[in-house]
Amino acid sequence: MDRTLDLAHRLARFGAWSGGALVVLAAVVIGVDIALRKLFVLSIGGASELSGYVLAIGSSWAFALALLDRAHIRIDSLYVVLPTRICAALDILGLVVMLAFAGLLTWQGWHVFYQSFQFGSRALTPIATPLLYPQFLWLVGLVYFVVVIVLLLARASHAFVTGDIATVQRIAGSRTGKEDLEEELESLRRRADGTEARP
Amino acid sequence: MIWITIALLIGLLALSIPIAAALAALGLTLDYFYSFLPLRLALGEMSWGVSTDFILFAIPLFVLLGELLLRSGIAERMYGAMSQWLSWLPGGLMLSNIGPCTLFAAVSGSSVATAATIGTVAVGEIERHGYNERLFLGTIAAGGTLGILIPPSIVMIVYGALTETSIPQLYLAGIIPGLVLAGFFMITVIIACVWRPAWGGDKIAISWGQRWSTLPDLGPPLIIFVVVIGSIYSGLATPTESAALGVLMALVLAGWKGRLTATMLREALEGTMRTTAMIMLILIAATFLSFVVTSVGIGRQVTELITDSGLTPMQTMWMIVGLYLVLGMFMESLSMMIATVPIITPVVISMGFDPIWFGVLMMLLLETALITPPVGLNLFIVQGVRTKGQIRDVMIGSFPFVVAMLAMIVVLVLYPDLAMWLPNNVGR
Repeated sequence: MDRTLDLAHRLARFGAWSGGALVVLAAVVIGVDIALRKLFVLSIGGASELSGYVLAIGSSWAFALALLDRAHIRIDSLYVVLPTRICAALDILGLVVMLAFAGLLTWQGWHVFYQSFQFGSRALTPIATPLLYPQFLWLVGLVYFVVVIVLLLARASHAFVTGDIATVQRIAGSRTGKEDLEEELESLRRRADGTEARP
Repeated sequence: MIWITIALLIGLLALSIPIAAALAALGLTLDYFYSFLPLRLALGEMSWGVSTDFILFAIPLFVLLGELLLRSGIAERMYGAMSQWLSWLPGGLMLSNIGPCTLFAAVSGSSVATAATIGTVAVGEIERHGYNERLFLGTIAAGGTLGILIPPSIVMIVYGALTETSIPQLYLAGIIPGLVLAGFFMITVIIACVWRPAWGGDKIAISWGQRWSTLPDLGPPLIIFVVVIGSIYSGLATPTESAALGVLMALVLAGWKGRLTATMLREALEGTMRTTAMIMLILIAATFLSFVVTSVGIGRQVTELITDSGLTPMQTMWMIVGLYLVLGMFMESLSMMIATVPIITPVVISMGFDPIWFGVLMMLLLETALITPPVGLNLFIVQGVRTKGQIRDVMIGSFPFVVAMLAMIVVLVLYPDLAMWLPNNVGR
């Protein structure tokens, strides 16, 4: 179970990197577009349309990573003063509501894709992109998000039932400001080491 | 219906349900009980629409820009340089915390990263130069909030997208209030240090030679700021395109400094996409909620409630300000804005206020939320950096700056032109 989660985490990270790479690529395309427009009064066009697809695909591919890294914001004003057992119950409740939302989103997303597939819908732009391709990639991210929620929910529920509250908190707990900070400091330290290591 | 909605929202958030899921659950509940047609069937098309909005593509770009500046060490060096240039003023480094915080927060767009980075560098200086510890910590916590108001601000893009307000105009409107607020912070420090000279610590002697030698460190962030802001207002690029230019520039600068390694890039991309995913999921849910709230007529009910109360628009505005100040004590600022803007903004506009002006006011209220106890993200971060003492010190030290922010809010409500002068006179 833990190994499956670990694998899911690695795949999620890979999804985020790929999405990030697409973002950089889109930035380059936009840069070229501006340069051509300004220097040669020439427009290749479509940069903004493609960037839109990149945003949709990139973020849907990173939903799962944000969940696994517990980056989806929660309000913890009450949470922090409650006993850990109740917190763990809330963590699981949070996952259940998230699953309901993501499930519905994916189901409706499937309809969007299926309609484009059935009617061969194209974007109302000069490129007339067949919408089914970007929508398929978007849908893949959504489906993976649902799969990861189910995995997390199964692992967290199992841990909760067997009384392993620490595990519930580790994989599904609300991030505290302290954790955010430690990561920030850790990356600062690594940067500082990098400076010294350089000749 | 209004009260049920508010009670449900508070309930879901208090249970610590992730914001995106909580907003969606609220939307679905309202849809189920009050809507004639099942609005949830529109969720797919709607989220595809939000996710492919070119304006919102600025979010991953600006987040990435901040990550690159931070991870390449460009931002840290800027702090070092600015502190040398501002060290002669009364209160020395405390003032220089505010200056670089302003710039750092503006270019990095993250108050957490700002407070953490500057906090780490600066905390060691407290004892070395005998500053008043509380006030010093307050400058870091408060200085870190300025990034929301000064462009390029990610929060402003989100506000602009939610309310269909022009982002270049919002950026213009934020500049003067942002600088004035930074000025208020500095005046706060100067007043405190003139009143109690001991708080100001030793004078630090720095030669002009040292100062000039740090000048090149100010270059890169300045270049990026000019590229991003300049390209918007020269008409060369839209806000999203300018963000792309900023990213390309940051890549070039990081590469030139020899910091553009594969590991660094991978970490930056991972962080960027994680933050983007978090924001986008909330935006999808908020758009759906906003659609439901409008369709079932809650927006109209809120407007009627306020009209029937017989309050003048000005009195209502003070009530809204009060409401946000209270909410801000308990809620994280971005989610506070996204959850409330779809309901509040139409009311504000119907009373005759300008949405751009209200956007700036909103940013000020969000900044205040970052440093008002008991829940203030920047307070926690600064406390975390120092590793000893109690969080009470940070809260007390931040208090004078909360007062400065409140003063700024009053000034902005009484003199809307402070925000509106630039957008009214430039680029229209």
